[in-house]
Amino acid sequence: MPTLEMILNGKEVSAEVEPGDLLAHVLRDKLGLIGTKISCGEGECGSCTVLVDGLTVTSCIYPAMKAQGREVTTIEGLATGGRLHSIQQAFVDVTAPQCGYCIPGMIISAKALLDENPHPTRQEIRTGISGNICRCTGYYQIVEAIELAAQRMAEEGGAP
Amino acid sequence: MSTRVLGQSLPKKDAATKVRGSRRFPQDFNMEGQLHAKAVWSEHPHARVVKIDTSGAEALPGVVKVITAEDVPVNEYGIIVQDQPVLAGEGDKVRWVGDRIAIVVAESEKVAREARRLVEVEYDPLPVVSDPREAMKPEAPLVHEERGDSNVFRHIKIRKGDWEKGFAEADVVVESYYVTPYVEHVYMQPDAGIGYLDDEGRVTVISSAQWPDHDLRQIAPMLDLPKDQTREIVPAVGGAFGGREDMHIQHLLALCAYCVRRPVKMVFDRNEVMIRTGKRHPWYVKYRTGARKDGTLTAVEIEIISDSGAYASTTVPVLEAGTSFAAGPYVVPNAKVDSYAVYTNNAVTMAMRGFGTTQSAFIYEMQMSKLAEALGMDAVELRMKNLLEDGSIGLTGHKMPQGVGIRETLKQVALAAGWKEEQGRWSKPDLGAASGPHKRRGMAVACGLKNVGYSFGSDDKATVGVQLALDESGRIARVTVLSGACDVGMGAQTFLAQMAAEALGVDYDQVRVAMVDTTKVPDSGSCSASRLVWISGNALVRACQAALEKRDQILMAETGETFVEAEFQFRGLSVIDTRPYDPETGMTDPHFAYGYAAQVALVEVDTETGETEILKFWAAQDAGKAVNPAMVKGQAAGGVHMGVGYALTEEYIQQEGVPKTRHLADYYVPTVMDMPHEFTSITVEVPDPTGPYGAKGVGEMTTLPTAPAILSAIHDAVGVWIDEFPATAERVWRAMQTKK
Repeated sequence: MPTLEMILNGKEVSAEVEPGDLLAHVLRDKLGLIGTKISCGEGECGSCTVLVDGLTVTSCIYPAMKAQGREVTTIEGLATGGRLHSIQQAFVDVTAPQCGYCIPGMIISAKALLDENPHPTRQEIRTGISGNICRCTGYYQIVEAIELAAQRMAEEGGAP
Repeated sequence: MSTRVLGQSLPKKDAATKVRGSRRFPQDFNMEGQLHAKAVWSEHPHARVVKIDTSGAEALPGVVKVITAEDVPVNEYGIIVQDQPVLAGEGDKVRWVGDRIAIVVAESEKVAREARRLVEVEYDPLPVVSDPREAMKPEAPLVHEERGDSNVFRHIKIRKGDWEKGFAEADVVVESYYVTPYVEHVYMQPDAGIGYLDDEGRVTVISSAQWPDHDLRQIAPMLDLPKDQTREIVPAVGGAFGGREDMHIQHLLALCAYCVRRPVKMVFDRNEVMIRTGKRHPWYVKYRTGARKDGTLTAVEIEIISDSGAYASTTVPVLEAGTSFAAGPYVVPNAKVDSYAVYTNNAVTMAMRGFGTTQSAFIYEMQMSKLAEALGMDAVELRMKNLLEDGSIGLTGHKMPQGVGIRETLKQVALAAGWKEEQGRWSKPDLGAASGPHKRRGMAVACGLKNVGYSFGSDDKATVGVQLALDESGRIARVTVLSGACDVGMGAQTFLAQMAAEALGVDYDQVRVAMVDTTKVPDSGSCSASRLVWISGNALVRACQAALEKRDQILMAETGETFVEAEFQFRGLSVIDTRPYDPETGMTDPHFAYGYAAQVALVEVDTETGETEILKFWAAQDAGKAVNPAMVKGQAAGGVHMGVGYALTEEYIQQEGVPKTRHLADYYVPTVMDMPHEFTSITVEVPDPTGPYGAKGVGEMTTLPTAPAILSAIHDAVGVWIDEFPATAERVWRAMQTKK
């Protein structure tokens, strides 16, 4: 069985994987990171979004071995200790999550957006999460949360 | 009423763990030594099972057991009527592609997946009936021979006043034929869970659900066990929308645990959720509305044929609820309504946000929009003229109870959207210039109302407990709320905590709501029917009052006790004695309580492509008292989202019972880009004197007006009525070509 070695949420990890294994399954089943959610299993809905070298991928269709030697960030990598990341805190503050199943993927997409574009317009935020389906919220409070996070992060000098 | 904790947009109890990704949904649970299960599904919409050969699957290394019909102690289940086989065995019929033949249990998911392909099933295909209008004919093939000689299993009749005279008195009659689509719930979290035997030997299921106690009322007889030998635990649930009211996976998990005596995990693929689980009922509707020149409604005549799919599920109560609102929030003195529930070999149809009233809102509001056009009257003004008030007589001859909020809701949404009112005359705002030469703008309004709680004599009740931990001076230090109310995302834990904090005079942070586990919390009924705020809230407030009284007694007696517990069961029938429909006239007092919504859509239609873009949307909902305004706004936005999909894009397509929209890629759930560019939510508070703090349900009402508002706005823009929807670009374009 090949060994996948990657930097996961800032730490070097390794896992034995089978050739066909997908990144989402390795994260969830082998590494115990349940925050990455699987909903459609075909890269359509964005629930399983993680960052690989800073770019969003739908991990439910991403071959695990493609992450070899790369940096992978999941929802578990955002909060520092007891402190939520600004994006997470904003989601709490504006009551963005309802069922919460799409939320980790949504927050990862928001992070990728704000990392690249710290002052997005509302339309840019919409584009940034257009690959993430939510069935509960109608997206408005999610967009509001991302706007609020961008504003707070700018005030705090960019650091989460 | 002035409140302290109630009415605040406090953070949801589960928000922090949900944004961290640490809160566990059913697929996030694992157990030592667990096995994995996969179902073998029917390959035919209608067939007799001739032979099942499990030997190939059993021979595969890693397969532990292939469970078939013979392994099920009592092989039937159903939320109301036990008309569904758990597993179809040799000689049994399959009636749709969601029936199951076997469950393969294996050491790994991969082996289970491979093994299910090795189960060989021989079928004798039977004639398929896929159109309920055909299924009603005497010569149609029967879906359930064992249940009588017709596929029609419910006919509701309403006969009110003299409808012939009503139509004779009408100056204008609007007549239409509507077809509403099959729709999938698309909760984001696929059905999943673990079945196991707990430390006391109970058959236990950790699963997504909407009503765990009722699941056990189906699981226990299925396994021929007393109910107290079964248990269900409901962790975070990733959306439901009615789709988890019927059991999709709970009974299968229980059966696996019962058969193999080891923990068994099962997770549906999205494809299984799409084609093997229940949907919203399509309706085929003939609708006539008569009105005088001044807009006063004189009569309606309605025929509704509801495609029930292969099993009864909740079709009857869905149709009963939908029928009771078929004339909308309007006074209609004369009515003739006939509604039929019909079995077919299509997907099972069941509860979905609105529970039949979503379909009714579409038909009555399209009729009102058409009537306004035919009369040359403003659409708000026509509706205002006919609205129900406190004490008005409704469609089934009942008197509307106090707290009818539709007038205020409609008024607020119309004013927000720019309507002007002068002495009862309403006029629509100027819509502004379209964004291009091929674009046309349109704007329209629609209303909706729905019952809160179960209706027609159902003994709907909720039991809620509260525990107080007191400090040495007798002050409340901590509070635990015990309730079987599942939080499927709408915030049950949060509003219960807010209500408890309000009732007990403590802080929100001092209150926790226990996890739903049937061995630890009382039965609060289902998370459905927009009922939890109203019915569990009523129970909770009374439990809190009882707990405070007990606390005071302890303090008086100086017993030194530091723990107080109280429980209250609230029955809806204590408020209004609802009754079933009269079989001949349909007259009844149908519902305990009601909730209201009204919405306005501003759209732009591309005349070259038929594509509709929603520029602005205004949603007003009467919450009675908004327990948590941010959550009410979330319900409004989510309801509108579901309504946008219903109106424009979502359609679950089957041909002769065979599903064609098998993946999320074929079934278009609106993304953020498809939503109205600007959204205004207006929460109206017309108190319901029977609700806790005046609160009403809002969860379902927010989706009712959306589709008719959008489709009426499309008509306003390009002059076509889309009576068979969703109004896809193709449908709108074709309608425009026909009109030319």
